[in-house]
Amino acid sequence: MQLHFNKDVLPDSVSSDFQNLNKLNEQQFHRLVEILFRFLLEPKETERFMQQLSEFAAEHGMSSGPLRSLMKSVLLVPQGALKKNLTAEQIKEDLLTLGLNDDKAAHFSQQWAEHQAALCRLALGQTLMVNQLLDMEWKFGVTVGTSEIQKVGNIFLQLKLVVRKGNSTENVYMELTLPQFYNFLHEMERAKASMECFS
Amino acid sequence: MTRRRLTSHVNMAAALSSEDFNNLQLLLKAPSKDAVRDVCVQSHKGPSRQLTENMASTLSIPATQAAQLVRSLHVLSHHVIFHNLSSPEQILAVFPESFHSSLKNLITKILLENSPTWRTEAVSDQVSLPQLKDLNWRVDLVTGSDSISRMSVPTCLVQLKMEDPCPSAGGESVSTVTVELSRESLDTILDGLGRIRDQLSVVAGK
Repeated sequence: MQLHFNKDVLPDSVSSDFQNLNKLNEQQFHRLVEILFRFLLEPKETERFMQQLSEFAAEHGMSSGPLRSLMKSVLLVPQGALKKNLTAEQIKEDLLTLGLNDDKAAHFSQQWAEHQAALCRLALGQTLMVNQLLDMEWKFGVTVGTSEIQKVGNIFLQLKLVVRKGNSTENVYMELTLPQFYNFLHEMERAKASMECFS
Repeated sequence: MTRRRLTSHVNMAAALSSEDFNNLQLLLKAPSKDAVRDVCVQSHKGPSRQLTENMASTLSIPATQAAQLVRSLHVLSHHVIFHNLSSPEQILAVFPESFHSSLKNLITKILLENSPTWRTEAVSDQVSLPQLKDLNWRVDLVTGSDSISRMSVPTCLVQLKMEDPCPSAGGESVSTVTVELSRESLDTILDGLGRIRDQLSVVAGK
């Protein structure tokens, strides 16, 4: 079986799962596809996904176990398509190859086309970032005196960077003199110019 | 004569007492002007056993007197820095009338010579958050990930080196943090830095 979304050998059940999908009527299929895409757009909501499947199963007199494994097979298609950046046309071809009937394949690929941009952005956003900078806070002021010097008039700038470290965050505090601040600003402008070369 | 214990903490802005000026006149025993200069500069840093011993031998005075002299010199030099006494008249006015005239002039001259350096040191050593010492960055193009096998997304890595001027006991003074910024984050940072720059120019203009 030549598929765009997957070059490996698929589990045997996948073929029969897609053929079982054909047994659903139009309204049932549309609802199932809706549940699926909602999950894809909010992948952290696994409990809600499972619950919606159970409700669907109960409504239509199916057992939820088989329905869940069916959905697992169906999920392979959009997940693979996202990785490989497939077009709606290519997804439709794959679904037909897997045995899904014309109308359903068309509907699914149309839903894919609608949600593709959002799904892509989501996948990009999930790309690994090391020590991601989450937030920057700052304050600046004037040092008016110290224990060593009664009257002083230096401008100071304090930065707090909030950095993601694994599952928690770390705060990094630092102080900059004016020249250091201007250098920091200058360097960040250079970095931005460099990034813009790539866009 | 009462013995005074030398404490490690000296009140920087303490006014000088008549006892301090008595101690300062011990400098009359110095073999040369350079020796006086040396003693003044060393005392500014703070008391140390080595310093007391050296001074005792240079001036041929007992160690207790040397220690008192160090302390008095220290109070004097820090007093000058604290109150920013920057003219000869201001410093001369600190001494009592009865103080040895040439020694007074010599000490004043030495203090004036060294004040700018001492003041700069005081500013750089002051209580502070870790100071940004160095900044390096790199822009990468991310071409693939576990979620999308082909992509083309720029990302920026910034390395900040900080030095803590007063590290806690056992703590490291130099630390390095590397953060990754997306394009949006970098834009947001530049936005923030721009606002700081604008506010700074308002303050500077005042």
